[in-house]
Amino acid sequence: MPLSESDVRAIADYARIALTDEQVPQMAVDLNSIIDSLDPIRRIDLEGVEPTFHPIGDLSNVLREDMIAPSLDRDFALSDAGAVEDGQFLVPSIMGDE
Amino acid sequence: MVVTRGDAPMPVDIAALSAAQIRAGIIAGRFSAHDVADAAYAVIATRDTDIHAFLELTPSLAYAAAERVDAAKEAGEELPSLAGVPVAFKDNMNQVGTKTTCGSKMLANYDSLFTATAVERMVDAGALPLGKLNMDEFAFGSSTETSFFGPTHNPWDLERVPGGSSGGSAAAVAGGLATITLGSDTGGSIRQPASFCGIVGYKPTYGLVSRYGIVAFGSSLDQVGPFGKTVEDVALATNALVGRDERDCTSQDCGTDFTANLHAGVRGMRIGVVTSMNDAPGVQPEVVAALHEAVENLKGLGAEVVEVDLPHITAAMSAYYVIGPCEAFSNLSRFDSVRYGYREPGCELLSSQESLSRAVGFGEEAKRRILLGSYLLSSGPYEEYYVPAQKVRTLITRDFVRAFGSVDVIISPTSPRAAFKFGEISDPATMYLSDLFTIAINIAGNGGMSLPVGLGRDTGLPVSVQLIGPQFRDENIFQAAAALETCYRIEHVAPMARPGAVSRVVEPVMTIGSPTPPATMKGGE
Amino acid sequence: MRSVEQVLRDWEVVIGLEVHCELTTLNSKMFCGCALQHGAEPNTNVCPVCLGLPGALPVPNKAAVESIVLAGLATNCEIEKRTMFYRKGYFYPDMSKNFQTTQGPVAFCMRGWLDLELDGAGAAERADVEKDRDGSYTTRIAITRIHMEEDAAKMIHVGGTDGRIAGADHSLIDYNRCGAPLTELVTEPDLRTPAEARRFMQKLRQIYLTLGISDCSMEAGSMRCDGNISLRRRGETALGTKTELKNLNSFKSLHDGLAYEIVRQAQVLEEGGTVKQETRHWDITRKRTVVMRTKETADDYRLFPEPDLAPYDLSDEFIDSVRAKLPELPETKKARYQADLGLPSHDALLMADDAMLGAFFEETVAIAGVRQARAVANLLLNDLAALLNASDEVEASTEDARITPAALAALVGLIDDGTISSGQGKQVFATLVREGGDAQAVVEAEGMRQVSDADAIETVVDQVLAGNPDKVAQYRDGKKGLKGFFVGQAMRAMRGQGNPKVINEVLDRRLEG
Repeated sequence: MPLSESDVRAIADYARIALTDEQVPQMAVDLNSIIDSLDPIRRIDLEGVEPTFHPIGDLSNVLREDMIAPSLDRDFALSDAGAVEDGQFLVPSIMGDE
Repeated sequence: MVVTRGDAPMPVDIAALSAAQIRAGIIAGRFSAHDVADAAYAVIATRDTDIHAFLELTPSLAYAAAERVDAAKEAGEELPSLAGVPVAFKDNMNQVGTKTTCGSKMLANYDSLFTATAVERMVDAGALPLGKLNMDEFAFGSSTETSFFGPTHNPWDLERVPGGSSGGSAAAVAGGLATITLGSDTGGSIRQPASFCGIVGYKPTYGLVSRYGIVAFGSSLDQVGPFGKTVEDVALATNALVGRDERDCTSQDCGTDFTANLHAGVRGMRIGVVTSMNDAPGVQPEVVAALHEAVENLKGLGAEVVEVDLPHITAAMSAYYVIGPCEAFSNLSRFDSVRYGYREPGCELLSSQESLSRAVGFGEEAKRRILLGSYLLSSGPYEEYYVPAQKVRTLITRDFVRAFGSVDVIISPTSPRAAFKFGEISDPATMYLSDLFTIAINIAGNGGMSLPVGLGRDTGLPVSVQLIGPQFRDENIFQAAAALETCYRIEHVAPMARPGAVSRVVEPVMTIGSPTPPATMKGGE
Repeated sequence: MRSVEQVLRDWEVVIGLEVHCELTTLNSKMFCGCALQHGAEPNTNVCPVCLGLPGALPVPNKAAVESIVLAGLATNCEIEKRTMFYRKGYFYPDMSKNFQTTQGPVAFCMRGWLDLELDGAGAAERADVEKDRDGSYTTRIAITRIHMEEDAAKMIHVGGTDGRIAGADHSLIDYNRCGAPLTELVTEPDLRTPAEARRFMQKLRQIYLTLGISDCSMEAGSMRCDGNISLRRRGETALGTKTELKNLNSFKSLHDGLAYEIVRQAQVLEEGGTVKQETRHWDITRKRTVVMRTKETADDYRLFPEPDLAPYDLSDEFIDSVRAKLPELPETKKARYQADLGLPSHDALLMADDAMLGAFFEETVAIAGVRQARAVANLLLNDLAALLNASDEVEASTEDARITPAALAALVGLIDDGTISSGQGKQVFATLVREGGDAQAVVEAEGMRQVSDADAIETVVDQVLAGNPDKVAQYRDGKKGLKGFFVGQAMRAMRGQGNPKVINEVLDRRLEG
């Protein structure tokens, strides 16, 4: 079943991407067209096949010792942020005046 | 040797020298690393106005590196493997002292806070980091047209795309601006632009090169690799890049010297051809002809040619367009305007600041991929598409393992066609096919190299073959590629970069804001 | 409002807990080498990985696996050898990548359980269970899983009231805690009373403390608990709509928050309303739960296997090596205290449940001898608790006591040999707890001596009886309870130094004779 425009809005909301009303119909067309092209993987016989979630199949237990490594200088760590205050990252109101 | 010292305007011709020759020249005292940096920046100043491969130049880093090399030479120390070699990095590789923009408005002002392992290893090997290279935004594309900073032009024909997403990396080498460049390859983003620009581009087996510090697109598909004019240059760079990095769990130990068997020849080697794939509709006749010629050349060198079958490879494309967007959606979630990245001004609520920053900061192609991933990972489609895609991956991997039971290397076209013109709309089927040869290799994780095999008989543009090896047996690729390379009198750089060529300026054909063709996602990567 | 006990006569409550515990005893974070450090300046323990910088990659802390396997073995879980991390996506700025790295359907520890012993007022909350003669009962709570994940950053909400998020002007983020190794234990909905929930949390906390995997500070937030509560009429089997309760960051809050919520839900249902599926916040000052957010649809976290991390493949040898490191757990310790040291069940439980107190107790008994175990336990369990006036954080305050095991051993010796009375012993104990020092020295400084001389005591007793002829008459008429009064009077006359045993003997002789 193709994605409706309201599906697209919900997907975009979840992905935190603001779409304008004008953008939604075209995005729905684009996404549906791509999803249609994914059909081959639904037609192939996958009975009994294990998924390969990790590209190096036999890789396991890659761990590091519990040792402290140097952290970033704080001013440097904050230097790419759009807004900071008191050595912390600043974000606008999260909930507003509920 | 083009090199002269003294009053010549350009004492070192970057376009004419291999990495080994540059190092040898410094050791022999014919020129200094400082001279190399001078020469590189001089050609960039004249030629990159046309090509637009670079997004940022880093002379202070390059000259500091040159000084270290020259001081080591002065002190009589043995110079490292890439001493004085001018290099440049795709702009998705973090390097302190540079911006890492990923070709996106989102990161237009992002200063790197750490350095990628691959970058660090190149610099540790004595290379001179000239700057950062243009790319499709976040590596989504195969033409470098989606860069927020405007497209890169193919040095062979400035009206054509250099391929992508590592278009800047390929164009820089083909244009004689750098000797070795690094790119990243998620679905062909090294091999396809290498093919379009007529140079060597190599995607190592997943795990050979650390991904630490490379802005992720598809974490299980991405791999870093080098571009160079020759197989030897690429082998030298690969030697510097590979090996376990404790900061990347998927990186592996590697004790291979990739230059070791460059002269071993292919006598007795078994070369696999996949007939069903190579003769697929959409593959241009000049590409088929070049491939057949390459196969004949390998036979002539004593290789045995064996037909192999990869029955599930046709599903690779669909699997790729599930796995890639899902991982991209997740990887790109971190761009939320809080710690770094574009921040839409004047928002009173965090949620609107995030949504608007992402809407404005990401280009159209990036948004499409993110939304697709967001959809495919939601609970129903996850079972319907994501898990099956990873099962398809199992089947494709098995196909390759089975095929490599009987051959040492598989040969295929890299791209079904030569570089296309800006704005040239290909029909979707062709677009999809153009990625098939490269994408399947990322799905399986194997190494693949694009090797130029002359100019197409119809277009006169570079045409390449792809050599694929078994996982972690990438030395096979180098052995076959180096042998095959000897069959061609390849001009390693584009005509414009050869002695006597005159630069010309063209108007950019594609600019920011141009609509991307809908529905067909740009392939490559 | 009705009491929770009243509500529970008509309604069955179904409670499940989610308990998060930060592995504070490790050196570094879960996926990077930044230091785990409480109270550091904001954003000083951050790096490309935990700040979620583009291009950074996670590498898991080896020691964290050992910690969680210890937790699993101690809570009777099966250890899953083959597990992997997943990415759980949600946009919130306290998670720097906007996804949390956590475990998927298969966690390191699955299908465990803990037995809870309830007695006293706690046991009284439960009506539908068969109890022992002393009113106590034991119930088994199934543990669904314990998984490994990473903690979120701390946020401060500025410009509103009481630091609340709603109405705040802006928020500040400190990523020091982001990426800290965090375990999450999820129980089956097997808990039936707030007291059981509290008991579960207390027991789990003691286990974790015994294992040494965390400081388990509920106050500092290194151990946190959320509750899921629903009600159903007695006899029904279908589950009611549940609410999720947050901010239960002390044992008292956990109990009282759940109790409030139970009463609230019962009232809503009894008035014909429906319970809404929502997340509620226990407001500790106003003593009520308030809505944080409503959940209309199930969360879809876009969970998928983390491609940047290799799966785990734990070997039998590894699991056995961790099992070999398991310390004696509270339950085993309790049995030992009962069997070997003769403590009554309830005392043994309390002592075994408190790792620090238990260690102190054992050290004291080692000096004083097993014969004194009960006397030592009495002082520690009854007097220490009273002295420190701890409502529910006994352990935290135990650290403040300045008494040493050697001093306590000496003290019980002085009581036992009759040098001082048990009443005097309590005074000395109090001094030692407050100020430390040596028991003998305190006894001498206070001029305490127990008078056991029968002649002296007879004189005093005779005076007491002579001064209260009416009470003597009443006693002889059968009001035997007055004996305590006479003992008290005699003791007072002797300024507390009389040997109570001798006083009793003399009284018996005089009154019965």
